[in-house]
Amino acid sequence: MTAATPTAGHPLHTRRDVLLLAGPTVLYLLVFSVFPLLYSLAISFFDWNPTTSSFDWVGLGNFTGLLTDPVFWQAAVNTAIFTSVSIAIQVVLGTVLALFFNLRLRGAWFVRGVLILPMLLTPVVVGLMWRALLNPDWGMVNWLLGLFGLPQPLWTADPAVALATLVIVDSWQWTPFVMVIVFARLQALPQDVFEASAVDGANRRQTLLRITLPLLAPAIAFAAIFRAIDAFRAFDVVFGLTYGGPGRLTTTLSFYTWENGFSFQQYGYASALAYVMVIVATIAMSLLVRVVSIRREDAA
Amino acid sequence: MTGRILERALAYLVLVIIGIIGFAPFVIILILSTKARFQIATEVPPTLVFDLAQIEKNYRDVLFQRGFLGYIWNSIVVTALSVGVSLVLATPAAYAFSRIRFRGRDRAASTILSLRFMPAVAVAIPVMLMMRFINLDDTLPGLVIPYVAFSLPLVVWILIGFFDEIPRELDDAAMVDGCTRFGVLNRIMLPLVRPGLIVAAIFAAIFIWNEFLVGLYVVNSQGLKTIPLGAAGLISAERPIDWNIAATVGVVTIIPIFIFSLFIQRYIVRGITAGAVK
Repeated sequence: MTAATPTAGHPLHTRRDVLLLAGPTVLYLLVFSVFPLLYSLAISFFDWNPTTSSFDWVGLGNFTGLLTDPVFWQAAVNTAIFTSVSIAIQVVLGTVLALFFNLRLRGAWFVRGVLILPMLLTPVVVGLMWRALLNPDWGMVNWLLGLFGLPQPLWTADPAVALATLVIVDSWQWTPFVMVIVFARLQALPQDVFEASAVDGANRRQTLLRITLPLLAPAIAFAAIFRAIDAFRAFDVVFGLTYGGPGRLTTTLSFYTWENGFSFQQYGYASALAYVMVIVATIAMSLLVRVVSIRREDAA
Repeated sequence: MTGRILERALAYLVLVIIGIIGFAPFVIILILSTKARFQIATEVPPTLVFDLAQIEKNYRDVLFQRGFLGYIWNSIVVTALSVGVSLVLATPAAYAFSRIRFRGRDRAASTILSLRFMPAVAVAIPVMLMMRFINLDDTLPGLVIPYVAFSLPLVVWILIGFFDEIPRELDDAAMVDGCTRFGVLNRIMLPLVRPGLIVAAIFAAIFIWNEFLVGLYVVNSQGLKTIPLGAAGLISAERPIDWNIAATVGVVTIIPIFIFSLFIQRYIVRGITAGAVK
């Protein structure tokens, strides 16, 4: 289409235009995003501790060290459980909420606004806030549970519950994200499909299972992958809520990586850990990019 | 008929319960922030008897003694600068990605998007070392530089979506009339893409405002901390947390976001759904 215009559409002009328009952003990202990633990879082959000023080439030593590090495996399992359970809860709950808000009740917009708020909050503060609400001695949550004669768990201290607590708080903050995406998709669905199914005598259950949910599937998938990548690298909420404890039971990969790099000053080992995360994230991203590009073709 | 009314009533009951679950945590934190330290553990549930002197003491402590007023200012400066630079860089880039067909375009666009999902821990150490190398560690620009890099992918991606929605015939017509690419961007696209700029700015701002991990690595000085770093200071201290103070910190950090959210709700929905839902 631009080829039809002799001035700006000329191949040489186009190349110059692209360089001038997109060049600065690409250059900036190369220097401050891509280079640090490669830098990290390079560090991961060294045993580097600035406090003892050791700096030795260890090849794949950091990576093989990971394989025999029980804390790494614990963190990997914690992260896998945290990510999968959080995403399952958030997707189901978020979709149910979206369907609920689609009933168009009066005043619902206000409640939706309240539900959006947690997503905007600083995750460290969210963790801190819930530590107060879940305090076993004076927290309001256990007080309320006590009123109904329900068990009052030691949310962040009980080894059997701590990871679940992390899941609950993360879901409080991020279920609305899924809700917003699914709700927007719901509102954009063509109404004639529903009218047709009503004419054909479909009941509400059939309409939901056979028509609404299949139409929502791409939006739900997008939200789920998006959230999964974010949950996978969760750090702030762990820092604020449990600080990885009790013991190592809520230590996520991000948290353990940060501990190694920041607290233990093991730059090499931390970078190797980080790279394991990069590889997993890259795989997940290639899934997401596929979903997104499909949608872009839809739109074009 | 009665079945339908009953169903409606039930739906409203559920709505109210959802609203309470969503809102109650904030109210409780607000109440805790008005109490003295000993009252936190002795008043269960906290009473609605308020002592103005105590409230003043808590908020003075947080805002002045603990320096949160300064942290808020630092957050505002860092966020404003980072968002500004990101928009200036990303707008022309997004325009090029949306409009001009060139070799490797789709690959470049999806690579940029994929940077959005890189775990921050993977770049934190190199970023800190780079900032140290150019003598910007432990400075606010030392935060702005990586934050621009973190928010660019998001901003570019949101803006591509908005540029895609503007009909191409506008560009073509302007260029036939002798306008250059830059003229088109400047005079025709910028006014049209303004909602996109607002959405992108909001999302970049939320991200930067809350960024914590890289901040931990780059900034050490009390006077340069942003809000998340300041809030984290409560946790890493050796002594047990003063929960009335922690709650006050919660309120102080939530209120700006709360006010902000009142104005931006419709943009938030657009931003989250940009790319996901067309």
